[in-house]
Amino acid sequence: MSANRWVTAVLVPLLASGCKGEGVTEPDPGGEDPDALPVLGHGPVTERYTAEVAARDGWAYTTTWGSRGGVVGNAVKIWDVSGDAPVLVDSLIIEGATTTGDVQISDDGTLLVVATEMAPGSIVVFDRGDPARPRQLSRFQVPSTQNGVHTVKLGRVDGRLYAFLAVNPSPAQLVVVDLTEPTTPQEVLVRPMGNPFVHDVFVRDGLLFTALWHDGLTIWGIGAPYGGSPSDPLPLGNVRTVGGSVHNVWWFHDGASRRYAFVGEEKPATLGHSSAGDIHVVDLTDLTAPVEVAFFRVESAGTHNFVMDEASGVLYAAYYNAGVVALDVRGDLGSCEEAERAADGRCDLARMGRQIGRGLHDIGRPVYVWGVQLAGDDLYASDMLSGLFKLDVSALRR
Amino acid sequence: MNAIRVVGLAGAGLLAGRVATAAQPVGGGGGEGRPLLWGAQAVAVVTHAAPAVAGEALTETVLTQPALSAAVRAWGGRLLLKGMANLEGLTLEGGELSPGAWGEGFVDRRHPHTLLHEVVATVELGRGRAAASLTVGKGFAPYGTDDPMARPFVKFPVNHHLAQIPERAVVIGAVRYGPAALEAGVFNGDEPEGPHDMPALDRVGDSWAARATVWPGAGVELSASHAWLNSPEHVGGAGLDRRLWSAAARWERQAGAWLLYALAEWARADELHLSERRFGFESVLVEGSATRNGLAAALRLERTTRPEEERLADPFRTPRPHADVNILGRTRWIIATLRVQAGPGRLAGLHARPFVEAAYLRPTQAARPSLFVPGEFYGAERLWGVSAGVRLDVGSGHGRMGRYGVALPPAARAPEHAGH
Repeated sequence: MSANRWVTAVLVPLLASGCKGEGVTEPDPGGEDPDALPVLGHGPVTERYTAEVAARDGWAYTTTWGSRGGVVGNAVKIWDVSGDAPVLVDSLIIEGATTTGDVQISDDGTLLVVATEMAPGSIVVFDRGDPARPRQLSRFQVPSTQNGVHTVKLGRVDGRLYAFLAVNPSPAQLVVVDLTEPTTPQEVLVRPMGNPFVHDVFVRDGLLFTALWHDGLTIWGIGAPYGGSPSDPLPLGNVRTVGGSVHNVWWFHDGASRRYAFVGEEKPATLGHSSAGDIHVVDLTDLTAPVEVAFFRVESAGTHNFVMDEASGVLYAAYYNAGVVALDVRGDLGSCEEAERAADGRCDLARMGRQIGRGLHDIGRPVYVWGVQLAGDDLYASDMLSGLFKLDVSALRR
Repeated sequence: MNAIRVVGLAGAGLLAGRVATAAQPVGGGGGEGRPLLWGAQAVAVVTHAAPAVAGEALTETVLTQPALSAAVRAWGGRLLLKGMANLEGLTLEGGELSPGAWGEGFVDRRHPHTLLHEVVATVELGRGRAAASLTVGKGFAPYGTDDPMARPFVKFPVNHHLAQIPERAVVIGAVRYGPAALEAGVFNGDEPEGPHDMPALDRVGDSWAARATVWPGAGVELSASHAWLNSPEHVGGAGLDRRLWSAAARWERQAGAWLLYALAEWARADELHLSERRFGFESVLVEGSATRNGLAAALRLERTTRPEEERLADPFRTPRPHADVNILGRTRWIIATLRVQAGPGRLAGLHARPFVEAAYLRPTQAARPSLFVPGEFYGAERLWGVSAGVRLDVGSGHGRMGRYGVALPPAARAPEHAGH
């Protein structure tokens, strides 16, 4: 064999050898066949990647993420969603931001608050007097937000409106800002927490839930009847859910019952392509000793942000490359047949037939759903790849 | 022979000389008999990348790989102390334009190495065909192939973070019997976070590597290695773990006036979350060079996948520590690089070797769809890079980098190899 043939015989197989990558397969919906959630319309965004969505009174706002073809995520898109298809009417451009990852509307509908990343991080407060043209009231950008505000959640405690900011990366810290006077936000707390991130929070009825990644979910009292305050949270309990990576949480009020919190786990993902991570059900019967009792998994996909139709007992979860999943979460989630349990004893909501709806998984093109928001019979889903979807969830209302 | 004999240490790095582009020892350097050896080098290079980002070409001139090295032998030759100061933190604070390069907060620019690049002590003993050594200090874990700095090309390959584990606090034991050697070492898993960073000493022992090597003769070296790195990207230990494999065949031969060299390597890195594999990256690289009368030609072919991370406002930087555990995609780089070098000539008392490197690069998405689209980011499907400059050195060349003690090849350890 000539030298050239030797070279060819060695080099060609070497250079042609494939890269196995993550070995991704199609997401498996799990459980019984769920009802498809009809798509009413789509508002495309193609020049930027889309992140979170907030919706109220016929208007929706979507944030933008990272860089797409050199166009950075410095915009907040304003949508008229009064019809079936979202109609883009304007955009807010936030100077210096490369990601506007989270967006919230205050409980009275008057304020729109946007979190910005990366450094220098901030929150930007807008007046929604004209929902089509939010007017900037203030921008809160201080040393404690310098590294980037990953998420912002609004909550009212003792009549005052607060913003709870998850600031990452190192040092990961919770920053609480009093927005009662939205033109002059006041920082009331900076507290390092999270390992390595404090990723998100949930605030309701005197409790603060913090998603602390490998440190699990911690519950704090920030008002009556639990004690503590937004400026001095009182730790009550902690739970390390299976797998860690505690990303987000929703505390479910099912009528008088406030037994369960739902925790989103975000395993490392290739954004736009693949994801992993379960929904964990935490029993809060004893706030000082919360315990995980159940979970839900979609094979080859991972959950992201939640919204709930509490009156109907339905949890909607953005599920990245698997679209949107709807779970029936009424009743006792910690009791199940032996065949419905995982090896570790937790109940498996998929085996329990709790999945009752699914959307955007079969629309003929890839999706990567970041967030979901509910308004009446409509569910809004923000797709990183393509923009904003409006889905009909009237069949799941009850 | 019952008495313990001293195994020659001359080949332990400093004296072995550069492969194919060897720096000849000059004033201040020395041969086998000298207890103190030193050397210095730097490469002045102009790099043109077209396009570098968003369809725009970039040209820059930097002083790269400036390094001072020294070695001292003691205890009758049983003990070798060697070190290298890498001054890239002073000359390459913003990195070196190098499409495809990644790691330590840089992307498409090679990061500067740490000021204290290597300082190790090696004790070595032998009996008959058997020998053993113990190495302690800051240096290379026993994994993968030689550091690119000790190979023919100025531009590092994409696979640097898949095929070498440098700048760790290491404790390495090695045994050799005849033509085979086995190394095992423990070290700290954390990657440097900047040129002035030092290993996290409280993490020494959280990571390990082992490498087996055989020298069947005729200048051939075969090796296979495996490593486990605990949270390399997060110094606090909360990041993903990395599992590495490497297999390589190296060949070096003097044939008359020709000095010939070739390397073929395969490397793979898996990143794991709680022992579950989440990401995988793979590399295949072949390179070779031929040198005659000071004129050297070299060719490198590489196919490597790398992670894509969110970038800062500076498109060549990524956040450290990470703000998230996700990646934006994986890019497969296929690169062909051709190099020609002449010399050495004399320039202000230094050896000077002018060179030109030309690279053709083709980055493609290895995961579709994903958020990082190379064609959109670079503004082209195919990239070109041209580098021209001069390598300057004085004293002893630093030789092969990445092995210590009895894990160095027999040829590099022979007295006649000193200074190469």
